[in-house]
Amino acid sequence: MDAFEKKTLKARFPSWLVTPESLLIGLSMAFWFIMGKLDHSFLQWEVQRELSTHIWETALMALPMTLIILTGGIDLSIGSIMSLSAVTAGLLHQAGWPMPMGCLAAMVVGMACGWFNGWFITRFKVHPLMITLASMAAFRGIAEGVSQARPLSGFPESFTRMGNDAWLGLPIAGWIFAGSLAMAAWIMHAHRLGRCIHAIGYNEQAARFSGLRVDRMLLGLYTLSGLSAAMAAIMFMARRNTAKADIGAGVELGVITAVVMGGVSIFGGRGTLAGVCLGLFLIHETREFVSWHWSRDELNLLALGVLLILSVVFQQLLGHKQAS
Amino acid sequence: MTMKHCFSLLSPRHLLRGFLITWILFLSACGPSAPSETTETVTDNQAAAAPKETITIALIPKKKGLPYFTSCASGAEAAAQELGNVTLIYDGPTDGSPEKQASMIEQYALKGVDVIAVSPNDPDVVAPAMRKAREKGIHVIAWDADAVTDARSYFVNQSTAQAIAYGMVDTMVQDLGGPEIRAQVAIVTAYLTAANQNIWIEHMKTRMADTYPNLELVAIKPSDEDQKMAFKVTQDLMKAYPDIKGFFGISSVSFPGAAEAIKQAGQSGKVMVTGLATPNSMKAYVKDGTVKSVVLWNTAELGYLTVQVGAALAQGTLKAGETTFEAGKLGTKKIEGDHVLLGDILVFTKDNIDQYDF
Amino acid sequence: MNPSGSNPNVQQAWFSLLKSRTAGLACFTTLILVWMSLWNPTFLAWSNMRDIAVSAAPVCIISCGLMLVLVLGEIDISVGSMMGVLAAAMGAMASASRWHLPPGVAMIGTLILGVFIGAINGWLVAYLKVPSIMVTLGMLTALRGVTEVIMGGQWITDLPPELRSLGTGTWLGIPICLWVTAAVVLISLWLIHRSTLGRRIYAIGSHPKAARLAGLPIARTQCLVFAWTGFLTAVATLVSVPQLSVVDAGIGVGMELLVVTCVVVGGTAVSGGIGNLSGVLLGALLMTMISTVLIFMKLGENATYWSRAIQGLFILGAILLEPWTRSRKKP
Repeated sequence: MDAFEKKTLKARFPSWLVTPESLLIGLSMAFWFIMGKLDHSFLQWEVQRELSTHIWETALMALPMTLIILTGGIDLSIGSIMSLSAVTAGLLHQAGWPMPMGCLAAMVVGMACGWFNGWFITRFKVHPLMITLASMAAFRGIAEGVSQARPLSGFPESFTRMGNDAWLGLPIAGWIFAGSLAMAAWIMHAHRLGRCIHAIGYNEQAARFSGLRVDRMLLGLYTLSGLSAAMAAIMFMARRNTAKADIGAGVELGVITAVVMGGVSIFGGRGTLAGVCLGLFLIHETREFVSWHWSRDELNLLALGVLLILSVVFQQLLGHKQAS
Repeated sequence: MTMKHCFSLLSPRHLLRGFLITWILFLSACGPSAPSETTETVTDNQAAAAPKETITIALIPKKKGLPYFTSCASGAEAAAQELGNVTLIYDGPTDGSPEKQASMIEQYALKGVDVIAVSPNDPDVVAPAMRKAREKGIHVIAWDADAVTDARSYFVNQSTAQAIAYGMVDTMVQDLGGPEIRAQVAIVTAYLTAANQNIWIEHMKTRMADTYPNLELVAIKPSDEDQKMAFKVTQDLMKAYPDIKGFFGISSVSFPGAAEAIKQAGQSGKVMVTGLATPNSMKAYVKDGTVKSVVLWNTAELGYLTVQVGAALAQGTLKAGETTFEAGKLGTKKIEGDHVLLGDILVFTKDNIDQYDF
Repeated sequence: MNPSGSNPNVQQAWFSLLKSRTAGLACFTTLILVWMSLWNPTFLAWSNMRDIAVSAAPVCIISCGLMLVLVLGEIDISVGSMMGVLAAAMGAMASASRWHLPPGVAMIGTLILGVFIGAINGWLVAYLKVPSIMVTLGMLTALRGVTEVIMGGQWITDLPPELRSLGTGTWLGIPICLWVTAAVVLISLWLIHRSTLGRRIYAIGSHPKAARLAGLPIARTQCLVFAWTGFLTAVATLVSVPQLSVVDAGIGVGMELLVVTCVVVGGTAVSGGIGNLSGVLLGALLMTMISTVLIFMKLGENATYWSRAIQGLFILGAILLEPWTRSRKKP
């Protein structure tokens, strides 16, 4: 440890206890206990399963976002990519294309947008924050222009069933997320790419000098992020039977909140998928419970903000140092 | 933190352990589902056996925090108190997000309220949630803004969209001095994607084309529910079109912004502005002459009527096919198909604005 | 956000890039002004220029503070919600139907509240070492909730005339908010170029480790910069919110994005250490001018749907100016 660093609480506890993930598990347990005491009807499986439909899109987009933030970057444009993909699928459906083709086109558009971000980040070395800030505005604007701000709906029943049906107890969207999570976990652990992502986040220069194809990987990550936004758009369209230019607005905030709460360092290099899942879970439960029990939406915002601040403060106090 | 430490934490074993612990705890915390209360779908044709003890009505506005909806809620609360056996829950998205509204509807459906009354931000987005609620046996009605027809049993309408739009155009023509006056007008709307506003704009365009050919609509600009933006847009439009004579502020946020811009430009009385807003937010402008007329309706009565309709549905006293409805102290209200009509729009002017406080 | 290297050549390259960025922005602005004056001569009228400046004033004021935050290597995305809560507090304090305090007390109260919230941000970042993006992200959400609670479903429609004059009044023919903006800019210039604090900010931003080894008071500087941003947000609230007669709960939504865009377009490096005030001001002016330009161009109804796209493409263009003027490859 650096001689200048103060001695932290970390040294006094076993190492596995003071990780952000353990803290989140502890917080979750505490919350369940409190929720159970306050309002037991909230903890029923039926209720939880139905309420879970609100979180799957955010969860899906949080996976590539985790990978991107692990490399030290960020992607603010996922909400706008979601809008653009949805509008694409909606317009093509209106033009008479079959729904699967429309979805495919939406995914292609999403990947193209993600690739656009990645290209400027890798080829022209623009900072991810800057380019995704700009593309956030640009993509949403294009979605609005192309759709003339009209809503597009009337999707076929076979499509909307995907959004509302459940299979083996879990909504189909949940299965999509589970599959993506499995894939992401495989990438991070079994595949070389996982180690490379950590290496890039820890020290990009060193990673380059080690011979890693940093540019290729970053390009792939941002494209993947665009693809996940497109898939989230499709899931949303199936669930709510509508495609409009404003459906992704504000989504990036929720995703980034979940990721940073999950203990992923914003500077890159440190973080786990498990933590992000826990963070998503915690945010979702808090949000739903505050609405369920108190029915005052303004309290929701307050609770979420305080939760985020408290959780990161505790992470810091427990000595989890943010690498810089 | 060393690289080794990073990787050891990520090892599949740790992940798996963490997950298993989490899920086991979660599943054990979740109890079994509550015994299904009413499995029969309650259609509105069936009358309940006996008057219910307590009726829970969830009143969902488009955007909580707008004084327009707060005033509706006060009327609704009054109705709840008057009826005695009604518990009113008033909650809505503070950001006006349709997705949030749909989530709230789903939550209320799970909680098992008796009636959900929603003013949809986006009818298509909330329709699936509304239908799901109806399948659970909950009465779902729309108020203030209509939903998809098969997703709700009744729509408590303050006035038809057409009447509101025509009312605004007619008021503008009156303020300008008559239908023979040639004038350029502009519309300052909310978001370009706002469903209600877009319906009104379509009707307004029809009215102007059919009845008032001397009016020329030069621009429709959004204000994104930001007063400052409405202010700026109005300011810019006045400069870009020096001959513009009238503005429509068709959202309760854009109307005061537009009025302020006209006032600060010194054009009070020369450039007309009308639109939809609560009388309190426009009182100062009406008093100093910037605004001649404000179009709205009695919002408290709208909330009152909504609760009355909801309670009657839950009790079973309102059946399909009826053409009138007894709405407590409001008297008899007409029902056209599945629309319960409050009445006409109200126009607030210098003469009557002091009578209202909302 | 990894800080750029400490290589003097890198610094030199950045500075020349920055000068070219400011020059580029100035050229771009002049081009737009010239083009618009040909398209519609009323665009250059004093009243229009004045109104554009008044509209850009709050963005400029907050950008001065946010630029220093970015130079320091941090970020503050809570300024929009801060503005909302300050507007609500100011309204609640001054309104006759709420707490009915004298206007002077309301003004000072708002300023103190701004400093206080900024200081909380700063304290969390500096002393608890929480990354600024997390703190300000949490604050963004929490403060918006507080705003809604304060407003309580009602708007404030009766601000006293003394407060309104802050927004609408003029002095020697120039609106008060422009005077205040000029004062803030002058103070910021002094802060950056003449004060030790300014030098420290740039030093810490360019190389935190070296700054720490040199014994600079990093925590105190961070705290001060965030408190200063909070103060400037309060100032911006005081001069812009009273321009309108109604205080609603949605004030400031999206402001942080606008300010960060202005600052970034103006050439401040997100990684820290580089920042130029003139670039920031030009960026703020340009961003505010776009919507006016689009209205003046009278492109027709369909074009309205494309205005957001045009704004986005414009920001893209401004940001992408950078790689083309870059003379060396970033390591």
